[in-house]
Amino acid sequence: MTVALEMFRSVPRTLAGKAMGSRMPGILSGFAAPLRVASPEAPKATGKPGWARLRTRLSGICGSDLGMLSGRTSLYFSAVVSLPFTPGHEVVADLVDDCEDLPAGTRVVVDPVLTCAARGVESCEACAVGATNRCSRITVGHLSPGLQTGFCADTGGGWGQQLVAHRSQLHPVPDALTDEQAVLVEPIACAVHTALRAGVQPGDRVLVSGAGAVGLLATLALRELTPAAEVLVVAKHPLQKEIARLAGATDVVAPSEVLRRVRRSTGAFQLRPEFSRPYLLGGVDVAIDAVGSAASLETAMGATRAGGRVVVSGMPAPANLSALWFRELELVGTYASARTEASLTGPDGAERGSFDAAVDLAAHEAVAAMADSVARYPLHRWREAIDHAHSAGRLGTVKVAFSPGSRS
Amino acid sequence: MGVGEFLSGGVADVRRTARGFRWGRRGQVPRSAEPYVLPQHSTVFDTGWARRPAVMAAREIAQKVGLEPLFRSQVHTRVEGLDVLERLDGPVIFVANHASHLDTPLLLLSLPDAWRRKTAVAAAADYFFDTWWKAVGSSLVFNTFPIDRRGGSMAATPGEVLADGWSLVVYPEGTRSRDGWLQGFRMGAAFLAQTHDVPVVPVAHRGTFAAMPRGAGWPSRTDGRRREVTVRFGEPLRAAEGESVREFAPRIKDAVAALLDEERTSWYEAQLRRSAGTTPDPSGPDVAAWRRVWEQTEPVAGDAVGRGRPTPWDRVRTEARVRAKAALKR
Amino acid sequence: MSRPGFVLEVDDRTPPLVVHEGLGFRMEEFPLGTRVVYPPESLPAIDDVDGAIRDALLNPVDSEPLPELLFSGMRLTIAFDDLSLPLPTMQRPDVRQRVIEAVLTLAAAAGVDDVEIIAANALHRRMNAAELEHIVGERVFRSFYPQGKLYNFDAEDRDALAHLGTTDEGEDVEISKRAAESDLLVYVNLNLVAMDGGHKSVGVGLSSYTSLKHHHTAKTMVHSRSFMDHKASKMHHSAWRMGRLIKDHVKVFQIETTVNNDVFPKPFDFLMKREWEWNLKDQASMLAARRGLAVAPQKLRHKIFHDMRAPYGLTGVNAGEVEAVHERTIAKVHQQQLVEVDGYSDVLVLGVPYLGPYNVNSSMNPILATCMGLGYYFNSYRGHPMVKRGGAVILYHPLNEGFNQLHHPSYVDFYEEVLAETTDPQVIGEKYEKQFAEDPWYRHLYRTSNAYHGVHPFYMWYWAAHAMDHVGDVVWVGGDRKVAKRLGFRAASSLNDALEMVSGSVGTSPSITYLHNPPHILADVKV
Repeated sequence: MTVALEMFRSVPRTLAGKAMGSRMPGILSGFAAPLRVASPEAPKATGKPGWARLRTRLSGICGSDLGMLSGRTSLYFSAVVSLPFTPGHEVVADLVDDCEDLPAGTRVVVDPVLTCAARGVESCEACAVGATNRCSRITVGHLSPGLQTGFCADTGGGWGQQLVAHRSQLHPVPDALTDEQAVLVEPIACAVHTALRAGVQPGDRVLVSGAGAVGLLATLALRELTPAAEVLVVAKHPLQKEIARLAGATDVVAPSEVLRRVRRSTGAFQLRPEFSRPYLLGGVDVAIDAVGSAASLETAMGATRAGGRVVVSGMPAPANLSALWFRELELVGTYASARTEASLTGPDGAERGSFDAAVDLAAHEAVAAMADSVARYPLHRWREAIDHAHSAGRLGTVKVAFSPGSRS
Repeated sequence: MGVGEFLSGGVADVRRTARGFRWGRRGQVPRSAEPYVLPQHSTVFDTGWARRPAVMAAREIAQKVGLEPLFRSQVHTRVEGLDVLERLDGPVIFVANHASHLDTPLLLLSLPDAWRRKTAVAAAADYFFDTWWKAVGSSLVFNTFPIDRRGGSMAATPGEVLADGWSLVVYPEGTRSRDGWLQGFRMGAAFLAQTHDVPVVPVAHRGTFAAMPRGAGWPSRTDGRRREVTVRFGEPLRAAEGESVREFAPRIKDAVAALLDEERTSWYEAQLRRSAGTTPDPSGPDVAAWRRVWEQTEPVAGDAVGRGRPTPWDRVRTEARVRAKAALKR
Repeated sequence: MSRPGFVLEVDDRTPPLVVHEGLGFRMEEFPLGTRVVYPPESLPAIDDVDGAIRDALLNPVDSEPLPELLFSGMRLTIAFDDLSLPLPTMQRPDVRQRVIEAVLTLAAAAGVDDVEIIAANALHRRMNAAELEHIVGERVFRSFYPQGKLYNFDAEDRDALAHLGTTDEGEDVEISKRAAESDLLVYVNLNLVAMDGGHKSVGVGLSSYTSLKHHHTAKTMVHSRSFMDHKASKMHHSAWRMGRLIKDHVKVFQIETTVNNDVFPKPFDFLMKREWEWNLKDQASMLAARRGLAVAPQKLRHKIFHDMRAPYGLTGVNAGEVEAVHERTIAKVHQQQLVEVDGYSDVLVLGVPYLGPYNVNSSMNPILATCMGLGYYFNSYRGHPMVKRGGAVILYHPLNEGFNQLHHPSYVDFYEEVLAETTDPQVIGEKYEKQFAEDPWYRHLYRTSNAYHGVHPFYMWYWAAHAMDHVGDVVWVGGDRKVAKRLGFRAASSLNDALEMVSGSVGTSPSITYLHNPPHILADVKV
């Protein structure tokens, strides 16, 4: 018998979380979270070809998980998940069974996207070219609907002791990486994808709004994989600032300073409209919103020059899109990671994906510093863990993770 | 900021100020700042309030209920020559010798009530008016007003007070005597009398030096009994037509000296000596300081020791003492 | 008669002494032996101000009387010092108003039609209409402002500037075109402290960044010892060279005025008295003021202080040729402010008050507080600084007023961006000055809003360069720790803590000098 946290359908809790979660985060780790400790049967996908069981070593809590728990996530996503499910899509685990070429006991990280290959259907157009995150078959095949492991009733998730995964999702972890570094590989892969979606040209100035795990890793990826000239990071808390510098930020500013700083370094003009946020005429070439709030997205758009690009990394909130129209911005989404990234493919023609680059980057000192701050919780202390994750930055933590194998 | 912080800040401020600015004591000037201190403008406290009806009523109570019983309980007083006042309508200037703090209450309490209520006392500005509480206290009880005893010219107030119909008490010596003998007279009283054309009533105190000299804080007793102090009023003087202040002032001094002589001897003897110009020098013999003090502390006639005329009371007291001693022996 | 200034030596009879700190003051008990420099008392003011002004205009120094210089059909420009002088702002009527009125009366009599009146604000912020009106008075304002003939100088309006050439040392001289092309330029100055006036009036007040960048540098300021002594100030030497060049192009008729030390109106006048002479009422006023300020919110305290208008009295007015006039002016300023101080000490204590030249009707941000303390007050000396080389300066200011976005937009960026990087004036100048000076946004705000020029915070920092170069430790008593750190200094909660902190460099029983201002003092340090 295994133990797992399970997210279930509960209208009152979801409504309560939606109504009060933003003002009283405590309520989310209290009664309002539609989450419970359960002893699920073995995941359904067990035994199908290419699938294998995994024993979770460590599984992170992602911003999207918190959004889901608090009901802030748009109902848009209700069609691509299947309740009840065990959350957890940032997973480092050991193989319990042999899985094709990987022997049992191999330490792996999971690319959570449940693509055509995992669902046992023929590749869609996107999967065929390696853009697995754009797969159009995520509700069909022999699995329940679910955009990722951790949102699907049939696979289990990282917040449980055991889950199942398809060979196409697995990436072995080099021994040199600790579990804490490995659990960051999935977010790094997303960051790599984000950085590549940003379309940074040589000499570009890039603004990263937000210094949670997403923002910090995006900073690292921008620095390592793109020709950005300046990377300006908006960070609130001391550890975030420190890691942002390690990750290669040219400058780190507080949220209240960001517009002024961008204005100064780009020679832009600042305008102050009535009853709304100030914005710039002129600004950075590329802005990455790594928070997902309306304020953050509007700041990012307001600080971007006309014709510039704004990358939405993280589930967005409704925001004022006037600047998008007026400044002719390119608003670009970035979701999860792709198996094959065209721009990473080397001269030898070997295909490389976000995860390949991510495994390399996981050895970076900035990632090591983030790994040092990872807070581990056993499953039964999930309320504390969720509460901690809600104010991770302030508590000097970049990532909170469950270690389902441990008892305390 | 909380209420507590506000209050404790206030208390700390008051403490620091009280300590730093020496509340209740004299303010001081840092040594290095002394050369830059402005010459003291006599910080004359306005005493006009002290001569308003309400304050006069308060003074009446203070003198009659507080001062008089206390004073009489401590010294035995004898008043002579009050009849001169019957021939006068105020205001006048009482010019007296000054040997003790007892002089003022003695003089004031000796006056008939109507005179006393309309009499003000000239007091040294630098002594009685240097702090507000001394100023208030002395003007309230004694109706004092400040005069500058250092400068040659008197401040404007005495004339105004006089013009308002108040009699004045002036001690032309300017300060209490150090040995009980008369010191030099200043011109102020003579000047005032002349310019305002008011009579000068010479007054002589005797025994006040013996009872409470400079430096003593309370009247002393002799043999456990109250000392006797006397006050004697003399014939009023007026400046003659065309008489200068310089000529008038010595006449006042002479009148006080004659009164002192009369106090020792008798009226007629004193008059004789005065007309012969042999009134003893009131500033005392030119002998050693101790002898001057010795002579002045000699008990006034009427004191228990060396007196000539025992009263019936004394006899009763002596009798009682002798009997008590005898009873004890037995 | 007013008493001279002097140096007090704190002894056991000395009461606590007033130390100003921003929007408030404290009563400080200084260690025994501390030397306290007190300013001379206010000189008696001139009773007949209009008469004195008229007399100065009709009997100028080294110049024809003003009426002889005025003729019909001429171009007359009158320039005047802006609101950075005097401090605090003067009660109505401002002495400049009376001087300008007198000049205009003569001009009207001579039939001069073409008159323009320019506020010589250089790179300072534009004054708003009310502020202009306060200085020049209602009558002048009404006659000139609506026609656009009374205006702030704009140092970024290329079309309104004239390049007059370069000095022998290659310094550009670029001033207001209108002033340069006038038949007569009358400058109306208010000479509050010794650094003001002379050739600095036209040469700085009406000049552009092109000109200013030559002498407003960290290097010049380190070698201006002090900038309160124009004969020993590299900055003034440069301004003087420029002034002489200007003189060849335009006839300048300089009118300089001096005021006495009456800076605090009632009920704050006790702040100008020597503490041991405070009577009970003064002490009560102090206690009441302290409690009132303690309980008042910051906004109210700001209002209380900034609404004060100083009852300054005029002590002198001189007119005529710039240098000759300035010599007389300086003599008067010295008479009012100079105090002889015997030698320097290990520690210098300065209380930074609520007001400096650049935060009139605005907030004293940390950079301005630094400029006030390490710039103006530290430099209030002649001869040798009041503190030894490598000594310590202890300043009082809470450093918590934040920035005024309207007046000091470039200061915020300077603070958050430049000072985060380095606090070395030299390095800052080389790396960032040009960027800020040429930033189009700052230019825009300077020209159209009420903002100080983009480069102005640099000048503030340069002002403090001499002090930073000269002393070892700088500690702010009562200062916000984070802010002090950003400025490159340290903060302490009390004087004793501050002395403890600097004991590493000056020992445990250092000699201390406290400059007891305001009112203004110029310490004549005899070594």
